[in-house]
Amino acid sequence: MGTITRERFEQGMGYEEFKASMTRNQERFIANEERVRLSKADVDVFRRRPLRVMVLAADWCGDVIANLPVLGIIAKQAGTPDIRVFERDANSDLMDRYLNQGTFKSIPVFAFFDDAWKEVGVFIERPETVTELRAKKRREIFASHPEFGSPDAPVDQLAEDVRARLQHELQKMRDDMAEWANAEVVRELRAIVEGRATRGGAHQTKEG
Amino acid sequence: MRPPVKIRITYCAECGYEPQTLDLAGALMHEFGARLSSIEIIPWDEGTFDVRVGDSLVHSMARDGGFPAVDAVKAAVRRSLEAA
Repeated sequence: MGTITRERFEQGMGYEEFKASMTRNQERFIANEERVRLSKADVDVFRRRPLRVMVLAADWCGDVIANLPVLGIIAKQAGTPDIRVFERDANSDLMDRYLNQGTFKSIPVFAFFDDAWKEVGVFIERPETVTELRAKKRREIFASHPEFGSPDAPVDQLAEDVRARLQHELQKMRDDMAEWANAEVVRELRAIVEGRATRGGAHQTKEG
Repeated sequence: MRPPVKIRITYCAECGYEPQTLDLAGALMHEFGARLSSIEIIPWDEGTFDVRVGDSLVHSMARDGGFPAVDAVKAAVRRSLEAA
């Protein structure tokens, strides 16, 4: 199983290098950077404890597009942490070390290390609060649109125009939640850096 | 002559399941050709990977876990063609 040393860490891409390398979703990624709001207190917390973060990511993943910009803006404004990004599927040894529930290759992974390369905390995928609120909002959308049927029914049984409307409603819900979700990511990352938590993120995605 | 069968593959675009989707669609195209009326590919989210043959949901990631074995989907298509 992969271990993180200074040498291995430095083989990763810098944040801007990863952004420049993206072959898809770059516009969404940049749009989310612009939605990140940090208070002075947030910036001070990260500035007080310089750390390194090993990131596992891929440009096709919605949670990477949503959450890696939060970490990137923190680093930009606080001058720390030092970020190195590793492509998930090209670094299976590292991915195997951070499997969600010991099974799933959920990304992003943000693994925080101190000067002695001791791991101080890990964030995986997204905050559980975001997963929970998204599920609640999703149920509300279905409840207020009987034409969408059951939230548990396969969507391919919906007429194409109905399915398109459902897709629009779900995207709008995610957009409306984005700033709040970013704040939840900041809250969990702060907790790791302040030593109040060693784990962050949800742990229930099946595969991605 | 038996009527052709429709296939629907619903996949999670946010999870990057395009390779598995295209591999399955390609395998079915090569195996069954014009015995399929169409292959509909639906980009979705929430970790979905569902495969429907005719009216029958032969695989659901939420229900069955993981991706389907291509041979199992081919077998379901054959059964559907034989039953038609």
